[in-house]
Amino acid sequence: MPISCAVSTVRVHPFHEPPERRTGAQLMAANPYRPWPARITSITDLTAYEKLFEFRLIDDRIREAFHHEPGQFVELSIFGVGEAPISISSSPTKRGFIELCVRRAGRFTEALHKLQCGDIVGIRGPFGRGFPVDSMKGHDILLVAGGLGIAPLRSLINNIHDERSEFGKVTIIYGSRSPSEVMFRSQFEMWKHRKDFELHLTVDHPDPTWDGEVGVVTVPFSGLEIDPGNTFGAVCGPPVMYRFVIDEMRKKGIEYDHIYCSFERHMKCGMGKCGHCQIGHQYVCIDGPVFNYWEAKNIQGSM
Amino acid sequence: MLYRVIEASELPALVSAFMESYEVVAPVKRGAVYRFEAVSSFDEIELDYDRTVASPKKYFLPPDETLMTFDARSNEVTDFAAEITPRVIFGAHACDINALNRLDVVFKDGRYPDPYYVARREATLIVGISCMPTDTCFCHLWGSDEARFGYDLFLQDIGGKYLVSISSVDAANILEAACSPREATDAERIEFRHATRRRQAAFNPDIPNIQEVAMLMDAFHGDPFWDELGGRCLSCTACSAVCPTCFCFDIRDTLDPDGETGRRERVWDACTAPQFAQVAGGHNFRSTGAVRVRHRMYHKLNGFLATHDRMLCVGCGRCVIACKANINPIEVLKFFERKGAADAD
Repeated sequence: MPISCAVSTVRVHPFHEPPERRTGAQLMAANPYRPWPARITSITDLTAYEKLFEFRLIDDRIREAFHHEPGQFVELSIFGVGEAPISISSSPTKRGFIELCVRRAGRFTEALHKLQCGDIVGIRGPFGRGFPVDSMKGHDILLVAGGLGIAPLRSLINNIHDERSEFGKVTIIYGSRSPSEVMFRSQFEMWKHRKDFELHLTVDHPDPTWDGEVGVVTVPFSGLEIDPGNTFGAVCGPPVMYRFVIDEMRKKGIEYDHIYCSFERHMKCGMGKCGHCQIGHQYVCIDGPVFNYWEAKNIQGSM
Repeated sequence: MLYRVIEASELPALVSAFMESYEVVAPVKRGAVYRFEAVSSFDEIELDYDRTVASPKKYFLPPDETLMTFDARSNEVTDFAAEITPRVIFGAHACDINALNRLDVVFKDGRYPDPYYVARREATLIVGISCMPTDTCFCHLWGSDEARFGYDLFLQDIGGKYLVSISSVDAANILEAACSPREATDAERIEFRHATRRRQAAFNPDIPNIQEVAMLMDAFHGDPFWDELGGRCLSCTACSAVCPTCFCFDIRDTLDPDGETGRRERVWDACTAPQFAQVAGGHNFRSTGAVRVRHRMYHKLNGFLATHDRMLCVGCGRCVIACKANINPIEVLKFFERKGAADAD
């Protein structure tokens, strides 16, 4: 018998201590690939293709350790189907629950859309670098969302809403293809009458019920009064939208590094390893998904 | 670093000593090529090999590994245990050790250390061995012809004996027990220097030495050269399979036949695969071979350098052999060389 047969394979557990002795943060760090069970606590139909899911992490320690910033994402698991990166739609000011706005667009999201309240999924994260909310405080904010881009921006919008006195003038431009594709419409309809938000809802293809603006998201820019030295821009939408919106923001005089954009890629690991979200030398999952325009300009292939 | 000298005739005893506590993986000859395989005796090992088809990265990042098992009915994890074999990789060349050091940057990073990779890396000893370059080797261009760290022992051939660099206690103990390591003489130290010079002089002079390649990658990012080079890509992903520093992977779930339990697996993936940068809904951020090949070369020769201060290419030359379409870093260097010549006219 060859000597090497004497060598036995050992089973190594990525956890070296009994889990009960660990804090939530230690548990999550011990194996960052491990999804933690979360229960669906609410499902809201937003449009024919998008639903808003609300989740609650079941383990108290994990739930208490879970802190996110607007613009970050989680990896959502349905065992047997797989995992997908989804940006967080709820504000960090809403503690204990995580909201994800999900479009039915593929195999994973089809499966998610079939789940019911009370069903269990897996969540790991949050991952990535979000919007610099602390730096944005004390400044005017111009948010521009196109289509599903409202999902990550809603986290920032609701954060601003809950800490409204911390921010200056807030302007929101949200463009959709048609009125039936406007998400969170009732929330925004109510905000139309508020003095502390300037809201521009616009659609490309209006129907007879539509009383908002018509045209692409850059149309409302002509009427905007911007204090460029004091304004942060935030952009999220389909890839084609960025250049046009950023051009408008630059024309208004907003500084390169005060314009923030959130990028979409398929982050498989979320931890700067698997390579799927690389753009040039950057990983969208750890260096982003939120980049300022100066950083984005310096990434080969970003726009 | 601690240095000692052992006789070449002591190597079988060293390997046998390793075999008592470790699986020994070493280069063996299979037909016309060499491969890293588990061996059961010193006689199987070919230490005078040019290159193995693939690097030893498979022992740290297996092509297919189970991250966890799950129960799909309850949507819960059932087990995380990874199978780790205590192992010695015996006879790794400097390029492969340098490649492993780059994988460490990614998988042993401070923020998200990868528990599976780390467990394998910690259970593995590396014994390096000096080599002479082949026609497709260009490790010297990126300073990878010498392994400065990342091994337990490194054997430098000085003619019938080895100057051994010793960097770990585990390996030092085994070396001490199995061989009779002794202080090097001045003549042996000089012979080490001669051996190094012989290696440095033996590199293929037709491979252009372009140290400013990273800057050129940025400057020529929009050049039609990439359409020509990438247009030839067959998307076979052989380049990344043989590359010692390619680490991209996919995570996928595989259900057992009962449809109720299954495994979450990590499998090798490649940025030259057509769907690699596709997102939900079908949009593909790198939809052509040209853009994919440019991205791969860019990450190797510029991107990783920008973030981690070293190239992600170690110049092992495996992709030069593996790519059926002749797409490799040497072609990129030659392109920059031609550009330079054209400008001079």
